[in-house]
Formats: sequence, C-alpha cells, structure tokens
Amino acid sequence: MEYILTIMVLIAIFVILASSYNLVIGYGGLATVAHPIFYALGAYTSALLGIHFGLPAVVCVLAGAIVAIVASVLLALSALRVAGDYLLIASLGFQLGLLQVIKNFEFTGGPGGISAIPNTITGPWRTPVYLLICGSIAALTVWLIARIVHGPYGRAITAMRDEELAFSALGRNAMTIKVVVFAIGCGIAGIAGGLYAFYFQYVSPEQFEVLHSAAMLTMVVLGGMGTTMGPVVGAVMLIAIPQAITFLNLPPAVMAPMQGIIFTTLVMLFLFLRPAGLVGGLSKDRMAGRTATEKSSAGAAE
Amino acid sequence: MLTYSNVNVNYGGLPVLRDISFKVEEGECVAILGHNGAGKTTLLKCSVGDVEGATGAVSYRGEPVVRGAVFMNSRRGIGLVPQGHNVFRQLTVRQNLGVAGLNSPGGALDDVYRLFPVLEQRGSQIAGSLSGGQQQILALGMSLMTKPSILLLDEPSTGLAPVIVNDVMDSLRQINNSGTTVVIVEQNIPATLKLASRAIVLKAGRTVFDGASRELARKEDLWTWF
Repeated sequence: MEYILTIMVLIAIFVILASSYNLVIGYGGLATVAHPIFYALGAYTSALLGIHFGLPAVVCVLAGAIVAIVASVLLALSALRVAGDYLLIASLGFQLGLLQVIKNFEFTGGPGGISAIPNTITGPWRTPVYLLICGSIAALTVWLIARIVHGPYGRAITAMRDEELAFSALGRNAMTIKVVVFAIGCGIAGIAGGLYAFYFQYVSPEQFEVLHSAAMLTMVVLGGMGTTMGPVVGAVMLIAIPQAITFLNLPPAVMAPMQGIIFTTLVMLFLFLRPAGLVGGLSKDRMAGRTATEKSSAGAAE
Repeated sequence: MLTYSNVNVNYGGLPVLRDISFKVEEGECVAILGHNGAGKTTLLKCSVGDVEGATGAVSYRGEPVVRGAVFMNSRRGIGLVPQGHNVFRQLTVRQNLGVAGLNSPGGALDDVYRLFPVLEQRGSQIAGSLSGGQQQILALGMSLMTKPSILLLDEPSTGLAPVIVNDVMDSLRQINNSGTTVVIVEQNIPATLKLASRAIVLKAGRTVFDGASRELARKEDLWTWF
C-alpha cells in the first residue's frame, strides 16, 4: 500500500511539472528544455533552507519557487528576445551549465546530492498526508492554469504564440507575456521540486538531468499539448503504467528494460494513432464538429 | 506624418532597400507598388521598427520610430495589418477584437461594428473558419480597435476573389475618408490605383516613381514598371 501511495505522490508531482511545462511550451509556444533545472532549484533551495535554517516546509517550498522564478526571469530576459531554435539552445545551455554548478559546489552536496532533509510529517499517516498535500497542489495547479489560459490573458497568450507580429502590431507587448508565462511555469516547477525534496528527503543532480525534460515533454505530448487535462493524463499514464508491471514480480534484470519498452511503445503508439494526444485529439474532434456547424450556418446565412 | 530619410536595408549582404526617402502626409492614401522582392514589405516593417540593421531614419510625427518594439509604435498610433497571418485563428471573432482592444480604454468596438456589421454577426465564430475576405475584414477591424492615426496594410487583397477585393478596397476608402492615413502595399495594381491618391513604385529596392496615382495609371508602359 505504501508503495502505491508513493507512486501516487510521484504522479501528483509530475502532474504539477507536466502542467507547468505545458503552460510554457504548449500554451506559450516557448521551446525550452530547461524545465528540470527549475525543478532542481526548487528542490535544492527547499532542502538547504530546511537543513541549515530549520525553516517551516511551506516557507522553504515558497522560497524554492521564488528562486526558480528569479532564475527563469534572468534566462527569459536574455533568451526570449530570440525564438525557436535559438531559445532551445539557450535553455539547453542554461540547464547544462547550472546543473554543472550544482554538481560542483560543496554546499549542494556535489554529485552525491543532499540527504537527511528534515522530515516535516512523521508517523504512519506521513505518506497519505503527503499525497493529500501533493494531490491538492496538483489540482490547484491544473485549476490555476485553466483559469489563466481560458481567460482574457490566456487568449492574449494564444494570440502571441500563434501570430507574434500581428499581436505586437496591436500594441501588445509580446516579450512581457513571454516572461510572465515562463516565470509562472518555472515557479510552479520550483514548487514541485520543494514537494519532491521534503517527501523523498533526498535530492541529487541526476534526478534533474536534461533527459527529464524529454519525459515531461512526452507526458505533455501524449496527453495533448495545449490542453488543460492533457498533461494530467500523460503524467498518470507514463508513471502508473510502467510501475504497474512491478506487481508481476519479474526479476530486476527484466523489470527495468521492460519499463523502458512500455514507455517507448506508448510513445510510438500515440505518435501514430493519436498525434494530437489523448485529450488533444478529443478537443480537436470537438473543434472540427464546431467548425463544421459554424460553416454550415455561415453558408446558410449567405 | 511618416517620414523616411535615406533608409537602407540589407539582408545577408543583399540590398533590399536603397536610399529610400519620402514623406506621407496626414490624411493621404498612398500605394506602395512593385514586383515580388522589390522591398515593399520590408519598407512597411521599417515603419513599425521591425527590421534589424536598417540604416537611415524613419520618423512618425517628428519622433523616431522605436526599433525592435513594434508594440510601442502601435501604441503611438501606427497600425499595421501584416500579410496573411493577421488574425488569431483559434479565437472567435469577438475574442480577436477583444485581444486587439485591451490597450484602448473605451474601445472602438461600436465604430468597428458600424463599419463592418459582419463582425458583429459572426462574433462567436472561430476566426479560422471565416472566409478569406472575412478574415481580412477582421484584421482591419482589429487594427482599428487600436485607434490608429495611420494604417499600414501589407497586400490585403492576396488570395481574395475580385468581388471581395472591391469590398476590402471600399472599406479602406471609408477608413481613409474618416481621417485615417492609409499606406497600402499591393500587387493588385488596378484596384489599388483606384483607391490611392498617390503611388510609390519600388524596383529592386529603389524608388522609381513617386507621384499621383492618376499619372501612373495613364502611363502607356505601366506594366513595364513591374
């Protein structure tokens, strides 16, 4: 039971990560691979403040989010003046460079990472309480992002992403919107990092490697990029399904490759069968129906 | 109102605009004509500061156009309707107008609906499902939401049926008659010469004609200019 609850905590954390990444890359159209480093900044800041200053976990997690926001604004102000491939390269450099810094500083624990992060909740209810907290924050994140993207500001984000020159020609500052979207997404990733650090009580650089952005991207794409529920579905599928085979009691030499094969097979299947993602495909179907209805009514009007 | 002084632009060492100088006066309707690659779109983009590495000066009402900040020039009253991708296809007509009007307190929605009743009728329709002509009308309406003093249009007739082109040109005439200065880049020479009082012809980045549209229309060798 403890194992299942731990997997559910991990799913909740990845729902937060994938949803925030979706806000940046799916809604904002900002091609970045630096999301794991903002997750790391949140995790390391929370862990260090908890260990050295004994601050309450809530304060540590919020401080982690603030550090992630500040770092994201620094990256955004320099890198978001460019777009497309250049932004991708700048974010890659930021991710790799900052992770090297984390690996090489003594106070961050070097390559070994940081252990003995304070246990803020003790007793037999520790994991269920953490699940409640992480699940609530995941739900809050999804709700907050839905509120942003479906409101007037979200329409401005969509407009900026789709036609930047036309958007700017209407007197709207595309750069400000990019920086704000980037900062919100990265700040949320910082919160996910803090939650991870306090639950698992151990962080190390390898948990925040650039390859993790591929996993987050896969969750977003499989679920449906640019949809609110897509990353939720993607995170649940890509964490729960590979973990489910652990109940088959296979030998460890078979288990790990099997999880990789399942992950890859899911990606391949979705690419061919539902390229817009599970939720994205449903939204597109609805949109197609709506457009057809509008066209027929427009035709009737003419 | 809008002044170009010795404007030069090179793309990768290739000259696109060469020593362009002219003035657009308040209330004018000016056509910028020329063949593909003559530099028309680049010239228009210089007016909103969207061309890197342009030399010379472009000023609006005596103040230099801010380079690299299209939105700031738009807020000063320079409206631009880019070619093609000029509406937000995933949003409804009303949402498109909403995005356009957020920086103009009080808004110009009533004026836009009066000029283009179709936009009110199709308010809840997704912009991407509108016809080409309706999308162009929407793009015009969106630009008018910013209450521009001068409206720059990049080939608004591209891809439209002739009858729709006439509708778009009529709308532009109304906009110009209401006091908004219009600068239109076009390849549809006959329709544009009927609309504009003045024409500027670009050839390989240079101005080869700047005068009355009637004068250009009368030229027997008109098509050799393009």
